[in-house]
Amino acid sequence: MESVGYYILGVIVTIIVAFTVGLTYMGLNRKITARVQNRKGPPFYQNFIDAYKLASKETAIHHGFMQHAGPAFLMVASIMSVLIIPVLNDGKWFPNLNFNGDLIFLLYIMVFGPLGMALGAGQTGNPNSAIGVTRGLSQMVGFEIPWVMALVALMMQYQTTSLVDLMTVQQTTGWLMFSSPFAFLAAVLAMLGMFRYSPFDIVGAPTELASGPASENGGKYLFTMMSSGSIFAFAKLTLYVDLFMGGADNLIELLVKTFTIYLIPMLYGMVSPRYRTEQAIRYFWGWPLFFGFLALVHAMVF
Amino acid sequence: METILTIFIIFIAGIAGTYFLGKLNGILRSVIFIATLLVTSWLFFTAVSPDVIIEFEVMGIMLSWGLTPLAYVFAIIVFGLSIIIGIYAVKAMEGQRSLNFFFANFLISVMAMFGILISNDLISFFIFWEIMSWSSYFMVVLNHKDVQRSGITYIIFCVIGAYAMMMAIMIIYSSTGSVMIGDFISNFHAFSPDMKWLLPILLLIGFASKAALMPMHVWAPGAYSNSPMSYTALFSGALSKMGVYGMVLVMIMIVQQIPDGYWIKEVIAWLGGITSAIGTLWAIKQDDAKRMLAYSSVAQLGYIIVGVAIGTPLAMLAGLFLAVMHGIFKSTLFMVVGAIERQTGTSNFTEVTGLIRKMPWTFLAALMSIIALAGIPPLGGFIGKWMLYESLMGSNHYLLIIVIFFSSTAAFLYCYKFLFGFFLGQEEKEWSHVKEAPALMVVPMVLMAIFSFVLGVFPGLILKPINEGMQFLGYVSTDNRFWEMSMIFNDWGNQVVMEPIVYTIFAIFLFFLIFLTLKGYKNTRYVTTKDISSSGEIPREDENFTFITGFMQPFFRAVAPVMKRQIDKYYNSFGKGLEALFDFTRRIYNGNGQTYALYFVIFVILLLMFRDSLF
Amino acid sequence: MVGSPVLLIAIPLLAAFLIPLLGMVWKESVRIIPGLVLAYLTFLSASLYIEVINTDTIVEIIAGWRPPWGINLVFSPLTGFLTTIMTFMGFIVWLYSYRFKRNVEFEAAKKYFIFLMLLVAGSVGIVITGDIFNQFVFIEIVGISAYALTAFYTGRDSAEAAFKYLIMGSLSASALLIAIIIIYSQLGTLNMAQIAANIDNMNPYYRIIAMIFFIIGIGVEAEIFPLNGWAPDAYTEAPGPVGGAFSGIVAKAGIYAMVRMMFTLFDIEGPMKILIVIGLITLIVAETSALRQEKLKRMLAYSSIGQMGLVLVAFGMGTKAGVFAALFLMLNHAITKPMLFLSGSFLTFNTTEKYIKQITGMAKKMPVVSIIFVLGALAITGFPPFSGFWSKMAFLSAAADENLLFIMATILIISIFEVVYYFRVINRLFFFEYDDKISIEPHKPGFNGMIALFVLAFIVLMIGFYPSSVTGFIDLAADDLMNTHQYIDKVLQLGQTIIQ
Repeated sequence: MESVGYYILGVIVTIIVAFTVGLTYMGLNRKITARVQNRKGPPFYQNFIDAYKLASKETAIHHGFMQHAGPAFLMVASIMSVLIIPVLNDGKWFPNLNFNGDLIFLLYIMVFGPLGMALGAGQTGNPNSAIGVTRGLSQMVGFEIPWVMALVALMMQYQTTSLVDLMTVQQTTGWLMFSSPFAFLAAVLAMLGMFRYSPFDIVGAPTELASGPASENGGKYLFTMMSSGSIFAFAKLTLYVDLFMGGADNLIELLVKTFTIYLIPMLYGMVSPRYRTEQAIRYFWGWPLFFGFLALVHAMVF
Repeated sequence: METILTIFIIFIAGIAGTYFLGKLNGILRSVIFIATLLVTSWLFFTAVSPDVIIEFEVMGIMLSWGLTPLAYVFAIIVFGLSIIIGIYAVKAMEGQRSLNFFFANFLISVMAMFGILISNDLISFFIFWEIMSWSSYFMVVLNHKDVQRSGITYIIFCVIGAYAMMMAIMIIYSSTGSVMIGDFISNFHAFSPDMKWLLPILLLIGFASKAALMPMHVWAPGAYSNSPMSYTALFSGALSKMGVYGMVLVMIMIVQQIPDGYWIKEVIAWLGGITSAIGTLWAIKQDDAKRMLAYSSVAQLGYIIVGVAIGTPLAMLAGLFLAVMHGIFKSTLFMVVGAIERQTGTSNFTEVTGLIRKMPWTFLAALMSIIALAGIPPLGGFIGKWMLYESLMGSNHYLLIIVIFFSSTAAFLYCYKFLFGFFLGQEEKEWSHVKEAPALMVVPMVLMAIFSFVLGVFPGLILKPINEGMQFLGYVSTDNRFWEMSMIFNDWGNQVVMEPIVYTIFAIFLFFLIFLTLKGYKNTRYVTTKDISSSGEIPREDENFTFITGFMQPFFRAVAPVMKRQIDKYYNSFGKGLEALFDFTRRIYNGNGQTYALYFVIFVILLLMFRDSLF
Repeated sequence: MVGSPVLLIAIPLLAAFLIPLLGMVWKESVRIIPGLVLAYLTFLSASLYIEVINTDTIVEIIAGWRPPWGINLVFSPLTGFLTTIMTFMGFIVWLYSYRFKRNVEFEAAKKYFIFLMLLVAGSVGIVITGDIFNQFVFIEIVGISAYALTAFYTGRDSAEAAFKYLIMGSLSASALLIAIIIIYSQLGTLNMAQIAANIDNMNPYYRIIAMIFFIIGIGVEAEIFPLNGWAPDAYTEAPGPVGGAFSGIVAKAGIYAMVRMMFTLFDIEGPMKILIVIGLITLIVAETSALRQEKLKRMLAYSSIGQMGLVLVAFGMGTKAGVFAALFLMLNHAITKPMLFLSGSFLTFNTTEKYIKQITGMAKKMPVVSIIFVLGALAITGFPPFSGFWSKMAFLSAAADENLLFIMATILIISIFEVVYYFRVINRLFFFEYDDKISIEPHKPGFNGMIALFVLAFIVLMIGFYPSSVTGFIDLAADDLMNTHQYIDKVLQLGQTIIQ
């Protein structure tokens, strides 16, 4: 690792890129969904405008320390994950923090974000946010299992827990999407839960009631949550690209690949009704779990 | 005289002094109590050296006391926890009943644990184990709560474990003629194949009951909830580790030598995994914080046992490290519950909420401990879990990883429930009078929280003694690299790789915290939790909108099939069946003199008839 | 020498007869004389025992007729050991019951002390005699005193209990007589040593029959299954200290007679299946019955029977280690069970039915007695560092030596039940609230009772922390029992004799 200054520069650039790409994708999501539903929809850069608006609003009230700490935890999680996931192959991007065994670290950090946010939401005292949190956490237990199974299958097959190693392996054996298909399937199905689009959006339950961790949080809090969400989205997409599609050698390739993956939850969500929480959990422990098992078997046998 | 004997004498003097002088004056009692703990700990850490062995003979058996490096690791837990919990207990137990007995018994427990750790022979080990059992038993029933049920359940499991151990010890003694642990280990290969299986299993039953491994765990929720919280902190933090200590000894020293001993380790590891999964599920269900923490302890001990049972160097390191961490954060959590109970009078989530502004330091301690429990970086729990996962990967236990991960993720649910239930949520008028716990209670808790943080950043502090302990067990020193491990330790335990991560995390956290707080600082005012939007309805003062009852209900609907059967019920029906059977045997003595005379005659006839086969 | 063994029997008998006479003169003498006598007996027994250990067994000949024609007394390491325990416990029981019915009922007190003397005299006689018919006589003496003491409270239940005891006792006497007759008719002698020397000459058919009737006859007194139906009732209905005396003194004498018969008279070597089987069944039935009891003394009675079963199993193993363990168990039981009976008697003083429920929360009101009770319970169940642990360990060690794993496992499982019912009582005492509606009035124990309890507690603690203090004696006693030839030689060739 070079000097600290270079490192900080890399961090900032990475965050900006993640932020931009994430917000753009979310904007594109709104645009495409609108078109599918036969309406015009907001411009794809709408989210930037929203972010600016939120950041400039003044918040009149707050509910205490945790309400500030919650979004801070969330940002920590998203930024750390984006710093650990290699953005481009072979360190062509800025050096970041990956290390041997960072897949496990990544798993925990990704979970920590929503948990911290949940704590922050808890202090507001809004019962709807508490309901949203319980739904969110329960659902998380649901999709984490097939997700972990997929990862374990990969780790088992290539005897490593390092993200970089898995990327390197793909140089020789081709995209893992094809050589570990079951793992890919399980991971994609789990991804549906991660993104919290339909049918797993009961956490925020938009248009149902003002529930979910975002209630009671406006202005700067909402801004932080939104940016964190976008950075996280970018991080997750990059992770999938790195794991299954052989990483990217330059930014354009990265954008193309991540958008391809992003289409999956987006399109699936457009046409799905919402699951209740226990239905969601049972869903995850059905086919995705089965694919996870197949992935494990595949990894053990080959 | 030898330091070990000095420590014992000080303990005994302390016990007597605390009990008898305490009857005179309460302050004197607390002083003697703390002084005993401090002096013995100081003596232990400065003056006891591993080379000193004390031997004496009783009834023809040689007893031997000395300190091994492995025991040293556990002794750190025992003494460290006892001091901090002791300071906490002095204040927390104010106004409770039977204080003299409580403090004296506390010292007895600590002394018994110390005795277990310095025993080099099986008989002393057993003696101290039993002393620990009955002294903890008296603590469980001290509060007169649910005495017959939880107390008797606890003592039954203690005794089952103890007698299994006793049987094994006696077999060992008569076969080898010696009770030294060292001799047993070196002579183990000479036992008959049946014995090679029977002895470890008997010993493991003994240790499993103390370490609350399924199915020997049913005493834990009752026992942990009913003892005074100050003692439960020690109970869950230190006493359960004695079971782990025993298991480590058996696992490594003995099971290695059995051909097919691999299967015992597999079974134990899987039992540990199942314990942690099911324990976590039951923990989420509880509405009483004490029971939730009890089940959580059972689950966490499951992790430790998995690590210990797998037996590879990294796994053992993980297991022992998790043991230390668990001691720290679980005792802190029990202390938190004790503080809340003292300040509000209840420990039930559905009764108390919204304490964050009233008990901020308690909240801080709880938050740090919960983060450590959940295994989130950068606190210590993550290091342990990380090592555990790596070791499971390295030893090809793939399914077990899934189980552990499931349990770990589900643990987030009860972690959140704990924090939310007590501290967050709506603030109610009936709890507006609650104040922060006294400093003497808060300081130990916060200290422990800081300590868990320190160990997260500098794990080497503990890993070094653990390493020495493991070398004693015969492992190669873990200073060498393994292929799975990416961290290189230097003497200070700085992680060559972890440091920048930790610093980054903190930098980001602080940056955003400051950003969020300071932006528009002057214009933002604090409001209570009653002032919320809540779908357009503002809750009135008397309406309690905290969502806590039936928390996580959708999750339970999803996992309902798994939780239908509870082991407790099986034990209960077994117990009832036995009682019915005994009612039957009791009727042999039906009080009728003629019946007895008849027995007499029948007996004569029987003996005369079968005389040849009887003699 | 302070005296000779015959005094151990003669003096209490004499005192028993003198007490009513002296009582007419001075009422207090009824209480004091037993005390003096028992104190002297303890002292005498102890000093004789020390002498026996240092030099040689004492064989005392009565009335000038040398064995094998006359009656002789044998004071050996084994018998001396038991005698010392029994006289000491007799003293403790006296100390406890000194104030018994004081100023209330003189007649009753007089009778109590008379029978106590007879009980001690008879029990000591069973142990130290060397003649089987003499032993029979003493068994009868013990029996009569025991019946009387059981019926002491002259109520309906007490009378019933005593009557049952009487029936069983009579049946046992008949069986014993049959056994003695068979032996006498075949071997022509009543002297134990002579019988032991000649037992091989006896027709095996008759030998087995005799042994069976001996077992049955002594078995009633030794409380083996299924002959112990009288025991729960007798222990429950008798006054508390008498329960202590029964378990501490009488039961020991019974067990002694049983093993003397098996080991010495019939000269059986090696494991004795019959003892092991009967002992195990006794243990199992007794302990499981104890679990369901609601009366304190009845529970203690079953526990006592169970312990005797355990002792029999230990003896049945036939090895020196087994005998050592058995004697150690007997010693601990002799100290601890009376301690439990005596403190239990204090706790349930103010009630007649003596239900366990009635002592709920008593620990608050009678802390010292309750603690002593707890100490007794912990000691009997075998928790370290108290005395019972060492004896249990000795037992398990002996069983492990013989590879009797099944027996070890059974004993340990039964011990779990023991722990359960004792701890239930401990819970009731200490960890329940004292409720005026259920619990009885506490009783202020007298000074003498407390001293008795303290002495016993001290011994329990001492043996617990320093078992080597007693293991030497037990070892010698075990040697003595195992060595039949030595016994025969000593008696017949007159080791160290005193001629009356």
